[in-house]
Amino acid sequence: MSPAHRRTKSSGPAPPAKTLVLDNGAYTIKAGFSGPGIKTPTPSIIPNCLARDRDKKVYIGSSLSACKDFSEIVFRRPVEKGYLVNWEAQKEIWEHEFFDAKAPLHCDPKETGLILAEAPNTLPALQTFCDQVVFEEFGFARYLRCLGPQLNAYNDIQSIFKPPARSPDLTSIPPAEILMLVDSSYSHTTVTPLLLGRPIQPAIRRLDVGGKLLTNYLTRLLSLRQYDMRNDTYLVNEIKEATCYVSKDFKADMEQTWKGPKGDRRATYETGGGIAKDYVLPDYHALTKGFVRDHDPDAATKLKELTKGKPIGASEDVLTLRNERFTVPELLFNPSDIGLRQSGIAQQILDSLSTVPMGLWPGFLANIIVVGGNANIEGFIIRLQMEMRALAPAECFVRVAKAIDPIVSTWQGGAYLARDEDQLASLSVTKEQYEEYGSAWVARKFGGR
Amino acid sequence: MNFGVREVALNSRANAAPGWAYVPDTGVNASVTALQPSSRKRARNQHVASHQETTAKQDAKILRELVALDRENHRDVSIPVPIRHRDNAGRVSHGKVTPNVRKILQSQKTFANHLSDYEALGSPLTASTALTQPSATIPNTPAARATPGSGAPHLTSKGTRSHKKKDPTAVSTPTPLRKVFSAAQLTPAAVKSESSTADVPMPDAPILSQGNGTIPAAHPLDKDPLLVSRIPGMPSQTEIDKLLAAPPLTYNEARGPWVEEDMRKPVRQFCEICGYWGRVRCTRCGGKVCALECLTTHQEECFSRYGA
Repeated sequence: MSPAHRRTKSSGPAPPAKTLVLDNGAYTIKAGFSGPGIKTPTPSIIPNCLARDRDKKVYIGSSLSACKDFSEIVFRRPVEKGYLVNWEAQKEIWEHEFFDAKAPLHCDPKETGLILAEAPNTLPALQTFCDQVVFEEFGFARYLRCLGPQLNAYNDIQSIFKPPARSPDLTSIPPAEILMLVDSSYSHTTVTPLLLGRPIQPAIRRLDVGGKLLTNYLTRLLSLRQYDMRNDTYLVNEIKEATCYVSKDFKADMEQTWKGPKGDRRATYETGGGIAKDYVLPDYHALTKGFVRDHDPDAATKLKELTKGKPIGASEDVLTLRNERFTVPELLFNPSDIGLRQSGIAQQILDSLSTVPMGLWPGFLANIIVVGGNANIEGFIIRLQMEMRALAPAECFVRVAKAIDPIVSTWQGGAYLARDEDQLASLSVTKEQYEEYGSAWVARKFGGR
Repeated sequence: MNFGVREVALNSRANAAPGWAYVPDTGVNASVTALQPSSRKRARNQHVASHQETTAKQDAKILRELVALDRENHRDVSIPVPIRHRDNAGRVSHGKVTPNVRKILQSQKTFANHLSDYEALGSPLTASTALTQPSATIPNTPAARATPGSGAPHLTSKGTRSHKKKDPTAVSTPTPLRKVFSAAQLTPAAVKSESSTADVPMPDAPILSQGNGTIPAAHPLDKDPLLVSRIPGMPSQTEIDKLLAAPPLTYNEARGPWVEEDMRKPVRQFCEICGYWGRVRCTRCGGKVCALECLTTHQEECFSRYGA
């Protein structure tokens, strides 16, 4: 009996009816169920952390939403630099979210499949740990570990690009044939060229600038110039998301925000020049969430008159953001601004292309998709398009777009894959296979070797 | 200090017990090198333009700041996993904890530990893959990268439509149209192993379609040497297969380079106080500021700081 025959016939129990799709990010877990019978799979976004507020109360994962006072909150994250490192903490969070009786997304792993997205270029030891825990501790019925960028290819890529429109009779059969995926996330930014949903491994590049570094950089700038925010990174992250943008013309914006030489204040500095914004800080009593408003040069005097004779609580703390708004995300395009010896995203894309045959360049350059939280920064896509246009060969068409929802795009791709039973079955490993052939075999199968 | 004694792992498979790890003795902080792996030797040999030469002191400062930017919390904190009630109330039992899992759960290693373990011990697998890697895959080869000026990727000036037009001179392998997409095509190619039953029917090929736009009508001047469009030939099926089957790079290899072109550009300097262009250098510490006003602010602190 040929091995293939034996395998197909005695494949054991029926495949699990639903699959847990997990994009286990460093900042948030994107999780939800998908399967052939599930019409519209929807993800939950769960903070992937253990957090402790200043009253020493510990929050696990999604219970962080119960926290009211984020001042001086500290985090422990099981995922470090994009890779799942600390299983003690991760197991606690997964159990809280998926396996406990009261878990929001409760499931029995024995009747569930798992698609787990990982960051590219993981250490083999960490991959082995991951496989062992998934099968030996949780006992999932079926398991697929693959690169996060890879899953994006199962989305309908061509509908993301607007012009030129395609004729309606063309339907896309996932995975996308050719795709250059830029994943700019919390820990780092990766560039992955994909052919038919499979990564070109030697062409994957990583830029060590991610959301965390941007937040920490903004924290440093604000602490240096205004209030000490070093214990409030959670708040600084909110400020970053609310105010930062990628500049189209860095030099001009810089001039707009300069205060001018001594004794000669520039008018644009006083009025804000259309760039300065005020962020009203929350005090976690009356105001639990900060907000942005346009810069008002007379705000301080107005407030003084308004609160005259009133209790202290009526005042508000305001941070004025000027060049911080655009110098922070600028690090994605010019990492050398803080002395990091790497080139910006556009050059990384080109460097990744340099390992790929020239004939594939037009295809990759015309299909650049950006996913990950940083893609939501205003102006990111336009700037990347501009820089790519300048670097790419003049004859090539350059199209850059962000996924419809950049944060859950990877998850969404996984959910599409999970609905296609045949594809998923051919890629995954069942628990029986793991028990028979061991973790080295599983690692080889997922490695495509 | 190890007094010149080098610890050699006798057993290459030695899986370190939780709580300790082999660490390559490079003399530099491991977490720092993980962040910016530029060995001293390379830094010395690297030829950089004069205006961005940094002193060792400034380098150290940059590294220190980068490490600070990589932190999760401002202070070192340890948040222990909350202790659960032992009575299994509301808790799914996953059966017995296997020795593997127990070891993994108890491990308190950080990513930097794992990375230095990997560098120190390596694995026979990666050693062999490093050898088989095609030379073109090694990063930092700007020569392979064609710039618009170098003329290598000379496609066509007529936009994308003409990409479909086959150039008579271009050497291109005829690639058939993609017809049906079978699930088998997605199987990671050739899961081959001695013990494996993985007799996965190797798909004929993941074949790239050539697009289905209409080909423009022929024109008498198509062959004109000035107007003819040259498109680089599509890689053949074997080339694509080889590309897709290539093993992943290691963590450090995948780190994006600082390309030569960017190295030549002057590094932008910013005022340490207000963030505007840094145009004036502090005579005491070498920090950059924008103008007199910020210089005064800077020097108030600079002159009073001990050991600066």
